[in-house]
Amino acid sequence: MRLYEYVLRRIILMVFVLVGVSLIVFYLGRGLLPPESALAPYITPRMDDATKLQLARSLGVATSSCPSWSALAAHESVCLVPVWGQYLSWVGNVLAGNWGYSLLPGVAGTQTTWDVFWLRFPYTAELAVAGTILTALVAIPLGIISATRNNRLPDHVSRFISLGGYSVPAFWFGLLLQLLFVLYLRVGGNALLPSNGVLDTSCALCVSSPGQVTGYTGAPILDALLSLNPVYFWDSLVALFLPTLTLAITSIGALTRILRSSMMEVLRQDYILLARSKGLKERVVIYRHALKNAVLPSITITGLLFALLLGGVVIVEVVFSWPGVGAASVVASTVLDVNFLELYVLVTAFIIVVTNLLVDIVYAKLDPRIRY
Amino acid sequence: MTSGPSPKKEERRSSRGLRREALYGLHLLRKNPIVLLGSIVALASVVLALSSGLIVDPNLWKTTHIALRLCWNNPIVNWNLRNVYDCSGPTTYLLGTDNYGRDVLRMIILAIPLDLQVSLEIVLSAVLIGTVFGGIAAYAGGSLDELILRLTDIFLAVPSLLLAIVLATILGRTLQNLTLSVLVTWWPTYVRLMRSQVLTEKEKPYVEALRAVGAGRVRILFRHIVPNSIYPIVVQGTLDIGSVILTFSALTFIGFSPSPLIPELGNLVNQGIQYVFTAPWLIIFPGLTIFVVSLGFNLLGDGIRDIFDPRLRR
Repeated sequence: MRLYEYVLRRIILMVFVLVGVSLIVFYLGRGLLPPESALAPYITPRMDDATKLQLARSLGVATSSCPSWSALAAHESVCLVPVWGQYLSWVGNVLAGNWGYSLLPGVAGTQTTWDVFWLRFPYTAELAVAGTILTALVAIPLGIISATRNNRLPDHVSRFISLGGYSVPAFWFGLLLQLLFVLYLRVGGNALLPSNGVLDTSCALCVSSPGQVTGYTGAPILDALLSLNPVYFWDSLVALFLPTLTLAITSIGALTRILRSSMMEVLRQDYILLARSKGLKERVVIYRHALKNAVLPSITITGLLFALLLGGVVIVEVVFSWPGVGAASVVASTVLDVNFLELYVLVTAFIIVVTNLLVDIVYAKLDPRIRY
Repeated sequence: MTSGPSPKKEERRSSRGLRREALYGLHLLRKNPIVLLGSIVALASVVLALSSGLIVDPNLWKTTHIALRLCWNNPIVNWNLRNVYDCSGPTTYLLGTDNYGRDVLRMIILAIPLDLQVSLEIVLSAVLIGTVFGGIAAYAGGSLDELILRLTDIFLAVPSLLLAIVLATILGRTLQNLTLSVLVTWWPTYVRLMRSQVLTEKEKPYVEALRAVGAGRVRILFRHIVPNSIYPIVVQGTLDIGSVILTFSALTFIGFSPSPLIPELGNLVNQGIQYVFTAPWLIIFPGLTIFVVSLGFNLLGDGIRDIFDPRLRR
């Protein structure tokens, strides 16, 4: 099989997976909740019953033979479209970006779910990217040390760190960091961070202040960088520090362990033995010969990590009041804003399957031994 | 059948082999202090969970004492905070009291069995689902295999915590629904794992021999192949007991707890979050418990893998 045939096959599978995810999400929202909840994001207070009925018909929730809005509200069987019959019109709305108004407190009824989501998404993406970078920066050296000094003290220490990171509840770790930096770590009598605990992550403010930072992307760090504003860049970098650390600590363990085992696998190979018997220095053997092959699986994992962190940031965002989609999804669940959650799931699923594919293609390009 | 060893002899030999294996396992355990520590912690948490009803009154979490709110009178730790209330009365609350005036230590002891039980339920169900569907997928092959595989693809394309949040939102916040929500995100890994195991196992000569003597397909799969390929699943299961506790407590931490009073470790941390800077013990100790218990099971699972992985042995 050639590469492009393989990619084509993968894209077909990708579409299949996305349709599957959308079916699950759709069934959860429409099949298990009453029809009113599906209409709630589209209904504004001033609508009269006739408009509401028309709306319900256009969204595919009510049948065309439904006599009145009150009949629908009473769930009369003439009015209810079976769940499977609603799917196509739902897909049409989803693809058109017609998600209705947000139900989140503060923006309810004034902003659409679509806008609210994409306003917040860059913050989450920024956090996920930063978390991925930090994870790779810590885990790769840790994995190498662990493998090259196998079963000696550095290996035990690194294993303990990675397993510890793997077992630590992210929310607890984040709260501990806040406690430490706000209350207990003091430099010259002053706490390292402002007293109300949470770091100022509201660079939304600096984006809106004119002439200083322009909102090119919506992600504070990128915007500050593109606007060549060093002060805001520093501020947003500082604000990013603790959340990123919290996010990374849980994934460092997984990456370290994968790198350790693949490094150990590579070090057992004959060509390493050859390199050593040639009399090459151990450093050259490890960094020039072994690492290149050992790091390949970590590239896959790092790609997947980013995609997984996009969904896993929820806890970190809650703990640090980060203005991303994760924290908003928790609020959305309390006000039963199902559309917001559905959008979040679909976007994340899309990013995950696309990243999966890209990672596999990159892998094939990097490793000439792989043939499709 | 005359040349083989007599049944008695064979039994004796296998039991001797088993003993040797166990002794060798113990020897490896002694050589690896981290694993030993993990197994002790895991064992201790199970024992504590089983006996928690005897140590603490199981209805303690329902009783609130407003007079004893958020106080601390353990002299060993000085929090260095301005307003720490000293509990009145002769009782020393080792880990302070919470915002309902309940003893934090006792609440933690009450919470451990709940978290462990939920975690065990989820892991065991996931193992069961994984074994059955993964085994069938690999052994049957063809379109059934493809169908099961694609189904796992779909569930693996959504981050587990996110899917659990959506499910818990829609199903409602009862303990059963939360357990179900986490389970839904957990089973696909086991299906994949079991499938890959069975795929390699079913090509081995003994399976062909079984087929030749006329054993049924179900019998071959579940009596012979599955027991031979279950071991990585067991390791993964042990590792996952810790991870499930983390996910479940994360879910209750972000507010999916059935009730704010319930003794559940994530919920205890959630209740303490607004007092982080006035009563830090509310988050430190329940969180530490989650950490220690899940670390224990992770160390244990890691150790089991190292001890029984023939490639890393000898």
